[in-house]
Amino acid sequence: MSYIAGIDIGNSTTEVCVGEVGAAGTVHFLTSASCPTTGTKGTPANVHGIKAALKQAMAQIGQEIDALSCIRLNEAAPVIGDTAMETLTETIITDSSMIGHNPSTPAGAGQAVGKILLLEDLSRAERGVPYIVAASATYTYEEIAAKINAVSDEITITGVILQADEAVLVENRLNKKLPIVDEVARIDKLPNGVSAAIEVALPGQTVRMLSNPYGIATLLGLNAEETRTVTPIAKSLIGKRSAVVLKTPGGDVHENILPAGELYFHAGAVTSVNLDEGAEKIMQALADAGDIQDISGQPDTNVGNMLNRIRKGMSELDPTADADVRITDLLAVDTLAPVLISGALAGETCLEKAVGIAAMVKTQKLPMQEIADRLRAELGVAVTVAGVEAVMASLGALTTPGTKLPLAILDMGGGSTDAAVISETGEVTMTHQAGAGELVSMLIETELGLGDRHMAEQIKKYPLAKVESLFHMRMENGQMTFVEDSIDPRFYGRVVLLAEDGLIRIEQDIPMEKIAAVRREAKRKVFVTNAFRALKKVAPGHDLRKISNVVLVGGSAEDFEIPEMLMEEFAGYRIVCGRGNVRGSEGPRNAVATGLVLSYIGEQK
Amino acid sequence: MIVKKPAIFIYTSEPDREILREICAGIEEEGVFYEIKEQTLVPKDARSTAARFAWQAAQDSMLGSGIGVSQRDAALQMRGLSVDRCVESYHVPTQAQCRKLGANSARAIKKMPFK
Repeated sequence: MSYIAGIDIGNSTTEVCVGEVGAAGTVHFLTSASCPTTGTKGTPANVHGIKAALKQAMAQIGQEIDALSCIRLNEAAPVIGDTAMETLTETIITDSSMIGHNPSTPAGAGQAVGKILLLEDLSRAERGVPYIVAASATYTYEEIAAKINAVSDEITITGVILQADEAVLVENRLNKKLPIVDEVARIDKLPNGVSAAIEVALPGQTVRMLSNPYGIATLLGLNAEETRTVTPIAKSLIGKRSAVVLKTPGGDVHENILPAGELYFHAGAVTSVNLDEGAEKIMQALADAGDIQDISGQPDTNVGNMLNRIRKGMSELDPTADADVRITDLLAVDTLAPVLISGALAGETCLEKAVGIAAMVKTQKLPMQEIADRLRAELGVAVTVAGVEAVMASLGALTTPGTKLPLAILDMGGGSTDAAVISETGEVTMTHQAGAGELVSMLIETELGLGDRHMAEQIKKYPLAKVESLFHMRMENGQMTFVEDSIDPRFYGRVVLLAEDGLIRIEQDIPMEKIAAVRREAKRKVFVTNAFRALKKVAPGHDLRKISNVVLVGGSAEDFEIPEMLMEEFAGYRIVCGRGNVRGSEGPRNAVATGLVLSYIGEQK
Repeated sequence: MIVKKPAIFIYTSEPDREILREICAGIEEEGVFYEIKEQTLVPKDARSTAARFAWQAAQDSMLGSGIGVSQRDAALQMRGLSVDRCVESYHVPTQAQCRKLGANSARAIKKMPFK
């Protein structure tokens, strides 16, 4: 009787499975564990994470690591995924010509046109000229209202712009009701004496005049040429509750198309595609190119630098094989990223077109033997590198109740989506595709403008709810949950994530429906696309209909909605598809580690 | 029958004028009504007076949101919370804190996230 451990080092997690092998060649699985992978997959830095996972697993059966008689490492597929995001368009405001934002409480309603007049210059106003008064936060709301009321009979004031959040307070004290926009942080940048148009939407509506180029033309008296130049302004004001547009002489808003660069696919002949053309064209060019040997980017462009960075990171792992580091696959996804407009006065953002890219790097071989040697030296246990990852994963997946050969597995991890088909005779066809869980996190992060990858990971993992009172919340599926003890007021009115150990608050003010839609769309864009791409590659004759069973394994198969999405998509091909349940108990995780232990028995026989 | 107006109740005892004014401004900016009631029965334990007033005000307000101001202490409560668990409370709050407390009392009713 001896203990055997199988270890699977993935892009993001390291998994361990421990089994007890009897004299008759029977195996009895005892325990399993998983830990985050330390360092890049396939490097000696992984040893730390492996030891942690082993310790955790052995502790569960009350044993030490040295009770093991053999440790088996997977021959990790030499592919490493990386992701990057590139914005393709950019909006720049020169000379501060617009303000458009959603202060929670603007006041009044309607549009107004007039010349910008600072509150301190009220005395210099001329009769008969319409003015829009701008007041900084150094004045109290009572002072502002009093000053405006005092002159309202002599000069024409049509609207007010405030720096502080006091629009309602000022409006309540005015004798004549005016539209008021507040919370304009950079009020000092407003040029005195320039014509401006201001609009506050009716309750429950969004601005109508200033989000329409002809509306701006009407209010500010623009000619056809000028109207053309304000189109980006109008576009970026869509959906806002209040807005200000200034007519500055040199003022302008540009929508720049950034030179994103070209991608070159090396597959016998070299084909190229421009990143500007969007994800669909890129993926089409990739599919048309055939068997990709390498992918590179135009030097000194965003995409070129990005691919070089990925390549460099990989070549550091294995300096001897420098020339053999190749990018063999990529997944491009169209997305929109809210980017802070340069020159904005109130922190406005504009949705810019962007492309998210996951690339996969392949080398000849990862230095797995080095890890094995290091482990052996540190633990004093025999360590062998055994088995191809895809074969091990298939072996593990076959322990799922209700499966039989031939079988297709789809291993959805953090860095790559792998597929393998095992025929009845045991022949394995496999493929590795770029793009998996990490690309989904990146898409969520950019589309919601979170600027926080950890938060994006959590949004990916957990369902949403909105705390509607201190005693109940509404789940994203509409269900209501009531709680006995009052919910912490910090969560009141917020969108939260339902994590295992309590609620996680989402700081940004984004509606629950929007977050859920972005999350689902990101998962669909990455996993549905990749599942089809991968399975088509390994299916006999590249025909999906020749696959009858698909078992989903890997970290992303644990997700609460990805397996269902794939099931729906595959239903049309009459494919039985579902989340794996390794050894009938582990769920979709631990397939490779389990396969490693099982293969040990095969070798003994 | 006593008919209560839908308003945030503010129970006070010798409140600091400036603090009270800024709290009210915070509520007004959010567009909610409020009623100020000076209390005659003041508990002996002065430290928790503001919190106790806020709790009582939240009980009495039809909207379930109450504020207590006692001299230079201010507290915000919502109906359903226990008396020792204020949403927020301050001793000698700054102007910004007063505005925030007022705005949050209104946001509690509007079911909006607190500032």
